Amino acid sequence: MLILILRRLGSMVLIMLVVSIILFAIFETDKLSVAGKVLGPYSSLEQREIWLEKNGYNQSFWTRYMIWAGNAMRGDFGQSLQLKVPVSEVLWPRLANTGLLALCLFAIMIPMSLCMGVLAGMKEGSFQDRAITVFSVLTTSIPEFASATLLTAVFVFGLGWLPGTSSMTGGFNFTELILPVLVLLLYDFGYITRMTRASMAEVMNSQYIRTAVLKGLPYQRVIMRHALRNALIAPFTVIVLQLNWLLSGVIVVEVFFAYKGFGKLLLDAALFGDIFVIEACTLVAVFVAVASQFISDIGYTYLNPRIRFS
Amino acid sequence: MYIKKDKPRIHPAIPELAKDLKNGNLDRREFLRTSTLLGLSAGAAYTMANNLTGIVSSVIPAARAQAKKGGTLRVSMEVQEMTDPALFDWVQKSNVARHINEFLTITGTDNITRPYLAEKWEASDDLTEWIFTLKKGINWHNGDEFNAEDVAFNFNRWLDPNTGSSNIGLFSSMTEDVDTGEKNEDGTPKMTKRAIDGAVEIIDSHTIKIKNSQPVLAVPENLYNYPTMIVHRGFEGNISAAPNGTGPYTLGDFAVGEKAILKRVDKPYWGGEIYLDEIHYYDHGSASAAQMAALASGQVDSIYEFDIGALQMAQNMPGFTIFEAKTAQTGVARMHIDKAPLDKREVRQAMMMALDTSIYPKLVFQEYGVAAEHHHVAQIHPEYFALPQIKQDFEKAKKMLADAGHPNGFEVTIDVGNTNGPWQQHTCELMKEQLANIGVTLNLNVVPSSKYWEVWKTTPFGFTAWTHRPLGTMVLSLGYRSGVPWNETNYASAEFDAALDKAESFIDVDKRKAAMEDVERIIQSDAVILQPLWTPKFFAASDKVRGLEAHPTQYHQFHKVWIDA
Repeated sequence: MLILILRRLGSMVLIMLVVSIILFAIFETDKLSVAGKVLGPYSSLEQREIWLEKNGYNQSFWTRYMIWAGNAMRGDFGQSLQLKVPVSEVLWPRLANTGLLALCLFAIMIPMSLCMGVLAGMKEGSFQDRAITVFSVLTTSIPEFASATLLTAVFVFGLGWLPGTSSMTGGFNFTELILPVLVLLLYDFGYITRMTRASMAEVMNSQYIRTAVLKGLPYQRVIMRHALRNALIAPFTVIVLQLNWLLSGVIVVEVFFAYKGFGKLLLDAALFGDIFVIEACTLVAVFVAVASQFISDIGYTYLNPRIRFS
Repeated sequence: MYIKKDKPRIHPAIPELAKDLKNGNLDRREFLRTSTLLGLSAGAAYTMANNLTGIVSSVIPAARAQAKKGGTLRVSMEVQEMTDPALFDWVQKSNVARHINEFLTITGTDNITRPYLAEKWEASDDLTEWIFTLKKGINWHNGDEFNAEDVAFNFNRWLDPNTGSSNIGLFSSMTEDVDTGEKNEDGTPKMTKRAIDGAVEIIDSHTIKIKNSQPVLAVPENLYNYPTMIVHRGFEGNISAAPNGTGPYTLGDFAVGEKAILKRVDKPYWGGEIYLDEIHYYDHGSASAAQMAALASGQVDSIYEFDIGALQMAQNMPGFTIFEAKTAQTGVARMHIDKAPLDKREVRQAMMMALDTSIYPKLVFQEYGVAAEHHHVAQIHPEYFALPQIKQDFEKAKKMLADAGHPNGFEVTIDVGNTNGPWQQHTCELMKEQLANIGVTLNLNVVPSSKYWEVWKTTPFGFTAWTHRPLGTMVLSLGYRSGVPWNETNYASAEFDAALDKAESFIDVDKRKAAMEDVERIIQSDAVILQPLWTPKFFAASDKVRGLEAHPTQYHQFHKVWIDA
């Protein structure tokens, strides 16, 4: 297991290294373009050259890369061109906001989707299974922008129960999280439910469960003691990988509800051409992707003895 | 020439204006606008108009006896980077700064320009020299007294090409072209602009004279254009980092993309009573849906604007008022007239002839807009001259294209940034359909709005949104004069410049309108822009917000707004 962890950690470092070099090459090879972004489109060539000299851009590519990577590892990603503040000042709060959204979502979605998946998979083909499956497919197939519009029409414009945006401008307000979490929940819980259902159904059809039932063990004990752990291996991987999606895949929800999260930050930076924010966000997103993959691999190995290294 | 300063002076053109008003040759609004521009106080202008027409109306807006002090106004609007007012390129930036720093003049929702930081102004008979007398007893937030040095500092910055301010186009009559000694790529001398001798002269601590090389009537109105905000004489380039104004509010929290909090200055305001304690701007993005949702759920009291697609939704929201402003805001499909295939005038004219602008207001703005005429002067501009309509004529347009070497048409791409809303793309899609009839394939390259502003002057063909200006001559000076910073078409016509100079020099409305015929005709026949329509502007506010008015330029003037909680 230790070797596996070390190998995986080595892969993580290697992936981050390669990605960072590619990222730096894409955004900072054309030095004049960088200066143009910083100084604005109407800056003169002379102004750009002075800026490049002053900011050490006339050194070799690799020297600049090493300085940039060193700064990035210390959390110094430079100054946002759009927001006029150090990137780190806006990056971490935005990550925290998205983390909060993810936490609320997971706190509701995981127990709910696992329960429904298990209930559906326990009795494959039953009315209970059909109802849960149809509901899951229906909600998952509705795009986030459609469910966001529908829920806003009902709860904001119709009933007037909930705030229409989630920008937390007046400080933290729990009610502003309800609609974004609800939209994400509707979109994502069906996926986890169906994965859990499929896994549970497969386990329930396995010979050791049949043996346990034929032995006369109480049905509840069969489910809780024998089926559940094995049925949760596949959903575990899927759930961990949802972290990636929550980081940068929820842009639609963050924009719709004006939620100041990581996805919105990345979108705004991309639209504005805020290269230092894009670099920082990309590095963070890749780090979260490889880290969640790492956790998923280790967790899967731990839960499934069949693929464990001796 | 000027009358001695210690004597009240009435510009010699004012009696003529009064005569025209009395005889019905001039409408009341134009009398008020022009007489105040010539230095008559707004109160005197209204009194004179009342006496001459028998219609009683007041310069003072509706009585505000019931106004309540205190409270916070919350507005949903994009909070953008805000550094140098002279470089402002979005009205939203100026709306935040407008409550901190102020202007020499102010143009109200009635299109009348009145004194603001200036107490009064006087124009020479030939309209080339203007003397502004500044109000006394106004202090900057840092305690310094506002004086003529501040105004001179601002003018000198605006007229310095190194500042990069669009104001240099607005005040082009205060500048002259000089040879830099360098050469352009084509070998022609590289020219730049500099202030003419005596362009700005301090007479005394509160009097300043500005000089134009040509007669210019619109100087006071130009001084309320959003980049002409007056900053302190020691301004170092960043208003959000070191706010120091003469206005009733100062900047509290400011975070680009999030919020701008304005707090009332803890000193009596020179301009009288202010009702709101604070003004909060919250950034919910530019999408109407988010802004409307914030308004509907009581998170804000007003929103900056909503697009036409949200009109029905707004109409169905109880407890809110919809404000509509008739504006000279527009979008122009502007061409680099020196780049093929749009470098031939016949080609551009053929494209113009393929368009039927009458359908655009209906199809793009549910009949709220107004069809335009490809010369960037609106029907609501006082100097508008109605040219004969350009009729859609596909056969003639095809022949013109064939004569210009495009018998089978051609393909061209237009950049669209939707900087002012999705209506821009809808307009281009309609143009695409109409141009297809003469064999011109118009491809739309839709880019993010911020990207569009990076290329708006360099793209060969782009669709640019222009905001409202009270005078047609203002926008023509900003965007179409030879060599001005915001000239996005590379249009350089001595004939046009001269015609515009002439039009700007007339006080007499009929003469000015007549002079505008040439201006409009030249720009229309040179076909530097395709301009399908003028757009309306909408915003909404809670009924508890009182004293709000819709300004055609979407300028926020919240000094007399209060919350009726």
